[in-house]
Amino acid sequence: MGAVTRSLQNGIPYLVAAAGIVAVWQGVVLITQPSPMLLPPPSLVFETLVDLTSTGELFVHSSYSLGRVFAAWLLAVVIAIPLGLAQGYSPAAERFLDPVVEIFRPISPLAWIPLAILWFGIGESGKVFVIFIATFFPILLNTVSGVKSVDPILIRAGQVLGCKSKFQLFRHVILPAAMPTIMVGLRISFGTGWAAIIAAELVAANRGLGFLIADGMEILRSDRVLAGMVIIGVLGVLIDAAFRVLGRKIRREEYS
Amino acid sequence: MTAASKKALGIRVDHVSKLFYPKDQEPVDALRPVDLTVAPGDFVAIIGPSGCGKSTLLNLIAGFETPTAGSMYAGDKPVKGPDPDRGMVFQQYALFPWLTVRENVAFGLKLAGVEQTVRDSRANQYLELVGLQGFGDSLPVALSGGMKQRAALARAFCTDSSIILMDEPFGALDALTRGFLQHELLRIWQEHRKTVVLVTHSVQEALFLANRILVMTNRPGRIKRDEVIDLPYPRDAMDETFRKLERSILDDLHEELQAAHGVTATAQAD
Repeated sequence: MGAVTRSLQNGIPYLVAAAGIVAVWQGVVLITQPSPMLLPPPSLVFETLVDLTSTGELFVHSSYSLGRVFAAWLLAVVIAIPLGLAQGYSPAAERFLDPVVEIFRPISPLAWIPLAILWFGIGESGKVFVIFIATFFPILLNTVSGVKSVDPILIRAGQVLGCKSKFQLFRHVILPAAMPTIMVGLRISFGTGWAAIIAAELVAANRGLGFLIADGMEILRSDRVLAGMVIIGVLGVLIDAAFRVLGRKIRREEYS
Repeated sequence: MTAASKKALGIRVDHVSKLFYPKDQEPVDALRPVDLTVAPGDFVAIIGPSGCGKSTLLNLIAGFETPTAGSMYAGDKPVKGPDPDRGMVFQQYALFPWLTVRENVAFGLKLAGVEQTVRDSRANQYLELVGLQGFGDSLPVALSGGMKQRAALARAFCTDSSIILMDEPFGALDALTRGFLQHELLRIWQEHRKTVVLVTHSVQEALFLANRILVMTNRPGRIKRDEVIDLPYPRDAMDETFRKLERSILDDLHEELQAAHGVTATAQAD
């Protein structure tokens, strides 16, 4: 079976789910007859989506949001992976880092928004900072657990096959063994970052999907709010799928 | 076989004992002072009741554990931690799942700095030796348990260690595959004459393969019996001397079991 056919087949449940959601939505609208200002019918939101596409707004808002998430995610990757490797590998680093991580972890990224605005103002960096917080922990925790859960027998095998230094052992055994778990962290964190985008953009943004939604609320255009939500959902699914495909590809190259 | 092999080395275990100190528990006396000399090229099987310290002894020789007292030598070099000169075959295969079978077999050569083309052709020779030609590009996940252990054997022999340690290498395999791999191992050992130390539960396996069998006591382990087996290879389980030896080693083991549990175990061939 070709990769394209497989991707299409994997997409079928999503299409079915989407159709189901639209059907329920339409049903609720038919039964309760709400004001379109509160809950517009799917058809109206679809029209708005077409509209947003043709004016180019959809592209502008999406690319701003994606750009912010990507920048924040990259930053988190660069910082969280080395930290996670250290924490997973060295008990000393673990003793020091683990409590710090556990104190910060339960604090929602949203709680950082006020400080982000105070520290960074209303520009890009504040938004990137909030998303960075949201992406940081999944990467860190998966990296730590990836390193820690390396089968000790593989480490012994590495040692008797000639990994003499800790660095060689790390490079040839621990890192590749931890890689699948680290990849999961990379994928999940992009998702959590994407979920945090709205909160990050609700305040003082004039572009981005969060802005589109906040703005829709202010001008009482719930069709635009819903259109924004649909775009976030669809892009979220697509990004996740892209990560899965990419992950498989990297692994296959690495593993063969 | 064209690959130049390193000379087999002997092993000397000098009054080595091992105590483990588990957290919040009494120390465990795993190994009483053991003295042992293994001649280069010998195939020694260590057999004993579960938990008698035979794996501990192997791990000490491998360098995974440090002795509480005493010292060990591989050839005339003291053992200080794991070294590629003392290879190991694990019961759980321990193949690297992210590498192909060939890359697994060539792993030791890669770390020794052997260049790619040379190590690939060496690895291919050893894959052929264990009957895995055609699986070099597969990932370990695609292999059956028996094939994985053959790959692990190829990896241990390809690395060109002077000593190969085996910790119940066939324990996880079905009887048929085990028998087949015992023959393979015997053939490879006869061809390469590495020093092999094999830890096993099976008296038959020890008698098929080893030219010397050590029977250990219950924990804390000591060597209870040291038997040179000079039957010609390949050995026949129906042969009278084979069966007598099997009987008497089993009796020794049952004596240990009884001492440990205070029960009368019914003698049963493995």
